[in-house]
Amino acid sequence: MSTYARQTGSTVTLPASLDEAVAALAAMPTAVPVAGGTDLMAAVNSGLLRPAGLVGLGRISEIRGWQYADGHALLGAGLTHARMGRPDFAALIPALAAAARAAGPPQIRNAGTLGGNIASAAPTGDALPVLAALEANVILAGPDGSREVPVSHLLTGMDPLRPGELLAFVRAPLLHAPQVFLKATARTGPGRATASVALVLDPARRGVRCAVGAVAPMPLRPLEAERWVAGLIDWDGARTLDPQVCTAFGEYVAMACIPDPVDDPVNPVDPTGPAGGALPPAVAHLRRTVAALARRALGRALS
Amino acid sequence: MTAARGGREAAAGPDAVTALPTVAAPLGTGETERGLGVCVLPADAAAKTQGIFPYAADLWAEGLLWAAVLRSPHPHARIVSIDTTHAADMPGVRAVITHADVPGDAMHGRRVADRPVFAHDVVRHHGEPIAAVAADHPDTARLAAAAIIVEYEVLEPVTDPEKAFAAPPLHPDGNLIRHIPLRFGDPAATGEVVVEGVYRIGRQDPAPVGAEAGLAVPRPDGGVELYVASTDPHTDRDLAAACFGLETDRVKVVVTGVPGAMADREDPGFQLPLGLLALKTGHPVKLVATREESFLGHAHRHPALLRYRHHADAEGRLVKVEAQLLLDAGAYADASSDALAAAVAFAAGPYVVPHVFVEGWAVRTNNPPSGHVRGEGAMQVCAAYEGQMDKLAAKLGLDPAELRMRNVMATGDLLPTGQTVTCPAPVGELLKAVRDAELPPLPSADDETEWLLPGGLEGAGEPGAVRRGVGYALGMVHMLGAEGHDEVSTATVRVQNGTATVICSAVETGQGFATLARQIVQEVLGVDEVAVLPADTDQPPAGPSARGRHTWVSGGAVERAAKMVRTQLLQPLAAKFGMSVELLTIADGKITSYDGVLSTTVAETLHGKELWATAQCRPHPTEKLDENGQGDAFVGLAFAAIRAVVDVDIELGTIRVVDMAVAQDVGRVLNPRQVAARIEAGVTQGVGMALTEDLRTARGVVKRPSLTGYALPTALDAPRVRIVKLVEERDVVAPFGAKAVSAAPVVVSPAAVAAAVRAATGRPVGRLPIRPQTAVARQV
Ligand SMILES: Cc1cc2nc3c(=O)[nH]c(=O)nc-3n(C[C@H](O)[C@H](O)[C@H](O)COP(=O)(O)OP(=O)(O)OC[C@H]3O[C@@H](n4cnc5c(N)ncnc54)[C@H](O)[C@@H]3O)c2cc1C
Repeated sequence: MSTYARQTGSTVTLPASLDEAVAALAAMPTAVPVAGGTDLMAAVNSGLLRPAGLVGLGRISEIRGWQYADGHALLGAGLTHARMGRPDFAALIPALAAAARAAGPPQIRNAGTLGGNIASAAPTGDALPVLAALEANVILAGPDGSREVPVSHLLTGMDPLRPGELLAFVRAPLLHAPQVFLKATARTGPGRATASVALVLDPARRGVRCAVGAVAPMPLRPLEAERWVAGLIDWDGARTLDPQVCTAFGEYVAMACIPDPVDDPVNPVDPTGPAGGALPPAVAHLRRTVAALARRALGRALS
Repeated sequence: MTAARGGREAAAGPDAVTALPTVAAPLGTGETERGLGVCVLPADAAAKTQGIFPYAADLWAEGLLWAAVLRSPHPHARIVSIDTTHAADMPGVRAVITHADVPGDAMHGRRVADRPVFAHDVVRHHGEPIAAVAADHPDTARLAAAAIIVEYEVLEPVTDPEKAFAAPPLHPDGNLIRHIPLRFGDPAATGEVVVEGVYRIGRQDPAPVGAEAGLAVPRPDGGVELYVASTDPHTDRDLAAACFGLETDRVKVVVTGVPGAMADREDPGFQLPLGLLALKTGHPVKLVATREESFLGHAHRHPALLRYRHHADAEGRLVKVEAQLLLDAGAYADASSDALAAAVAFAAGPYVVPHVFVEGWAVRTNNPPSGHVRGEGAMQVCAAYEGQMDKLAAKLGLDPAELRMRNVMATGDLLPTGQTVTCPAPVGELLKAVRDAELPPLPSADDETEWLLPGGLEGAGEPGAVRRGVGYALGMVHMLGAEGHDEVSTATVRVQNGTATVICSAVETGQGFATLARQIVQEVLGVDEVAVLPADTDQPPAGPSARGRHTWVSGGAVERAAKMVRTQLLQPLAAKFGMSVELLTIADGKITSYDGVLSTTVAETLHGKELWATAQCRPHPTEKLDENGQGDAFVGLAFAAIRAVVDVDIELGTIRVVDMAVAQDVGRVLNPRQVAARIEAGVTQGVGMALTEDLRTARGVVKRPSLTGYALPTALDAPRVRIVKLVEERDVVAPFGAKAVSAAPVVVSPAAVAAAVRAATGRPVGRLPIRPQTAVARQV
């Protein structure tokens, strides 16, 4: 006798449409959706997860492409990083394309999807700061129909994915202006972000929006710094800024995302200490990295 | 009984043990080269590149069970109780074993038997084996292992090697594994210029391409066969037999395909539970380690804390080197004694230094175990003494290459151990070669090809923030075991029907021994077809595949055996024509006499004959370092010089190694392609040590034991490796005059990268791997 069958007796369904997928999840609430499997299967292989069943999303063609909807793009959750990295997509949402090209080695980018990246919500998820900077919404499909939620609400847990719901689309604005995604990693080959910055210009709203990834559990928005720098840009003119303004913006962003430790009467902060005050060297370096990324991102967006 | 899941399954009979890397003649690759000095292709090259070469993880036997090992989550704890009843009661579980089920010796070890098969009273490192399970499915085995209830009393771990001296003993043998003081010259000597430095080396993991795997098959006679990726089959057999309580002839180790060959193959904690479970259940048992277990189980490179003081005269000539070397051995002794001997003996590097004073210690801690990783001991000190040379150059205002040139060692000089360097030591020539090599061009603005910036193609790099740095390093490493190890190897050569067979238990680990053995036999006997049989313990011992041994001792044994066969072949001919054997030559499959009168073919002469010979090679003996660190401890030395060129983003601290120019002392090139491949591999491993490879721990607990957490160099991180010079000055005592090539580039390249980053950033760079925060320029 072998115990083999008992343990791998999970069911796999391969629905061909979103409706079928939602129905399959409703029929088997313990089943887990799987798209590219690049996050999920790693968890299964390491024994962290033993799904009773799998609902494969790979055959749902309606979520593997994108379409236009009044000034927005509706991006299918099944879009792979490889697809988003291609020039036609890059012309549409350049920062998301850049993030997709940076999201791991080619094998992973061929399989990994936008929806999986959002659902996994890893701090180092490269699409996330871009979606936060774009102020994109996600469209969720569930047994009671679909609903639309700002991506930040989903990521902060304010409005999480409910049981039986699937990420169907991402609604992202088409801004027709420069966007930048920059990612710092520990090696030249593919690696997870130690820090990342997404920055988009929104000329219609005369806004600069920026999100910092990987330094906190979810992307951070330095709203004051955004407003400050947006006010300095001549939106009707050349849209250039003095390099010193870019530097100041970088530092503003970095201070906002990696603030000084709150004053502790027992271990007072030494303002005369090495760069970064009393910050441990690794944290000081992270702050310096964010400052450099934000400065470079702004500079590139305006050049 | 066992069959490969690989490409040859179909050809295997039902009872054939086929998952063995039978290294036979070339696989029709159109390869026509043969003999020494040419690029003979490895016989297994095609299978390896096609992914059909069978490794241990591909083994399979009818009715096999799957094993899983329970490992300690704590770095230091007392085991209060172990309850295996739940695990044993689970359906599908066939056996659960703990320390109580070890019939033979409870302790084992390659040098010192200080390591339990299963921890029983105390746990000394995170990941130490506690128990093992055999079940009918791998998941069942894992679940059952997790169901074993161990009650621990968690103890304070000792993780700072500096505190190990005063800490309560972690082991009955104490915390000091070895202390070597070295005293050479006059302690009162001083120089006009003095520089001091502290250097810290991280924990590099062997991170093999294939994690540990193996199959144990019980034998009808009560013995057991272990099919494992062993690199030292006889030692593994002896260790296993002692723990199994069996005579050595009832344990057989059969070497399977070896995917990586450092400490990752020297973890008996993997092989012993496997054999014990097979003996207990009477079934074949297979164990395949997860990547996490692989990181936790095997030994790593010794983390080191190195304090140096260099004295030089005003011209930059070294006067005295003082050093304190502290190696973190982790929980058990393993190869620490050897690593320490190398670190102490090479503490001053390949330089002439009249006065050297070193204190070296290897201490026990609750950190992950340390062991054999290429260039152990030598690599750590190279990073430090080369850092000191850069400091001296800066202080004296000299060019770093020039300062080194003024101090290089040569044949006839003394090591600080008092041993005379008798082998070729072309250190100055190597340095000159890398110094004079052309520098890679700087990318220009109008360059069409994209500049690969530090941080990668999609990284955040900005050309304006990138600085280029050039750095030099020289280094040395010993070949073969040191300090009195008996380095013997035995080989047999058989010739029949125009085909030669080599039987030698030297393991082909990818280092190219099997190819070399073929080349030697082709050269000596003029036979094209040479098969090298797979290694097992039924053959005489050849010793471990490490420290460049096999080119020397096993290559030497093969050559001797082949020459004996040659004499047998030529003797009758010589007698017939009334001339001595020496007057006959074999070339291109033909036998010719000195005067050209006699000319026949090897095939014709061999017809109907079967010739055999067995020979041994044993290099000259060495001695243990004495209480002053003196003694002729090494058989041979190899040297290398590397010039590194790096690009550093001085704001982000990201580094890319652009170019590594290598000059190496190789004695003689026996296979140019293999030499180049070994150097490229060694440099890449060294670049990993310099930039990213560090198995981090927090209070003894390994953090992120995965290939995501532990960053190996990828194709984008691997630099361009340019071999600018191979110095072929034959080492007269080595067979063929050849020196081992694998270790020297690993030893030298981390130091070279550090030197280049110093040049780019102006920062001291005393820690490897280099952290980004220490590679940002001071004035940003
Ligand atoms: C070697 C390696 C390197 C990586 N490098 C990076 C990197 O640099 N940057 C980066 O951002 N990521 C990286 N990743 C992570 C991963 O590839 C991405 O997060 C990817 O986008 C995940 O998508 P997937 O389709 O594979 O998700 P899956 O693994 O299929 O799913 C992940 C999770 O999302 C859920 N899910 C998937 N689709 C949906 C849906 N439509 N609705 C609801 N739930 C859903 C699944 O149930 C699961 O919980 C890396 C992964 C690996 C293995």
